[in-house]
Amino acid sequence: MTRDRVLLLTAAASGAAGLAVSGYLTAVHSASAPLVCPATATVDCERVLSSPYGVLPGSAVPTSAAGVAWFAISLVLVGLLFRHPASAPLRRLLVGWAALGLISVLYLVFIEVVVIGAICAWCTAVHVLVLAFFLVALVRWLSFEPKWQSPT
Amino acid sequence: MAQPKRRRRPDSRRPPPSPPAQPGVLVPVIVTLAGVVLLVSAFFVYRALTLKPAPPPPSQTSTASLIAEITAIPDSELARVGAGTADQSNVKRANDPPLRGPDGKPEVLYIGGEFCPYCAAQRWPIIIALSRFGTFSGLQPASSSSTDAFPNTPTFTFRSVSFQSSYLDLVALEVRDRNGDPLQTMTSEQRALLAKYTQNTIPFVDFGNSYVLSGPNYSPQVLAGRSWQQVAATLKDPSSPQAKAILGSAAVLTALTCQITGGQPAATCSLPAIRSLGDSLPR
Repeated sequence: MTRDRVLLLTAAASGAAGLAVSGYLTAVHSASAPLVCPATATVDCERVLSSPYGVLPGSAVPTSAAGVAWFAISLVLVGLLFRHPASAPLRRLLVGWAALGLISVLYLVFIEVVVIGAICAWCTAVHVLVLAFFLVALVRWLSFEPKWQSPT
Repeated sequence: MAQPKRRRRPDSRRPPPSPPAQPGVLVPVIVTLAGVVLLVSAFFVYRALTLKPAPPPPSQTSTASLIAEITAIPDSELARVGAGTADQSNVKRANDPPLRGPDGKPEVLYIGGEFCPYCAAQRWPIIIALSRFGTFSGLQPASSSSTDAFPNTPTFTFRSVSFQSSYLDLVALEVRDRNGDPLQTMTSEQRALLAKYTQNTIPFVDFGNSYVLSGPNYSPQVLAGRSWQQVAATLKDPSSPQAKAILGSAAVLTALTCQITGGQPAATCSLPAIRSLGDSLPR
């Protein structure tokens, strides 16, 4: 298996795991079911998810639904890259999309840590998966950029 | 004449030659990881540096006089402010069978948490409104979490409250303490109501299953940086932002409560300002 395929499979795995966790958070929100999550002074999913930041501004749509959409689109992009591995526009689109995800994650971590003062364990799992996805997209993008290639 | 060579379009479906392992690629990855770790650490440091300690609660004597003051605000003050700056968009019509309290009277159900700044803000108008229908005991000064939004919002906790009234029963639950640890437990029926009408957000107030209130009627920002005594003092000036928010919300809550007590007590419920607010409620 080529290194490129390994990178794409890693991205797909991160995307699928992220989609599953975001989907779980969205389902729990929709069903108003209790969340499986430890509650301490610092780690408290319920406190984070029941805060005004638990839904998208001006709506009743949970923030995790944005995660579902982001991971779903990410998986579509990875799927397209499996079919067109040499496509430079797709490669750039993937890294740009991943960067957008990472910036959103940093904003959400800021909200959790600074504004709310509690961390949601499930959200952190999603954040780590977005970071992993970004790193894979970055490595794949740089691997094909001539200026990053070692002289042979 | 030599035919010019036709350039083949690169086939994007063709697997690209696997790029060689490049040590140069590792540098941006490490820089990204270090940047993320540094930024998140900076968030924690900023949080720790900007945390304010909890304000000292008022003494027992001050507490007693404060409670006496806010539970005796005359109807005329509520009428003068009307809805003030109260946000009424969180008032919803409920459609469940009437909620009856332990004494068989219409029940007002409050579900909140001591850590929660929005609950802290909402308790002021709840106390002022329900004082028109009965007498509170067991109110204790409290402040919302130091580590949540609107830290240290001054309030009174309902954790040990009791309420005597000939018109209604109050059931009040603080589900978590100031540190966010579990405190009082909801019944499955209460949990179902919270889930049905608010998707598990607090504060939640159910007026006998006729109307529900999801969230506060005003922003805790109105109380920021003020002590209990300062908040109580501002209520004497109907033009202050605090009076407009707190008394305005109390007027809305009074109108909601009148809907389940059959318009009793008439002295309060028949006030034109309260009746007008009642008439404007969602049907």
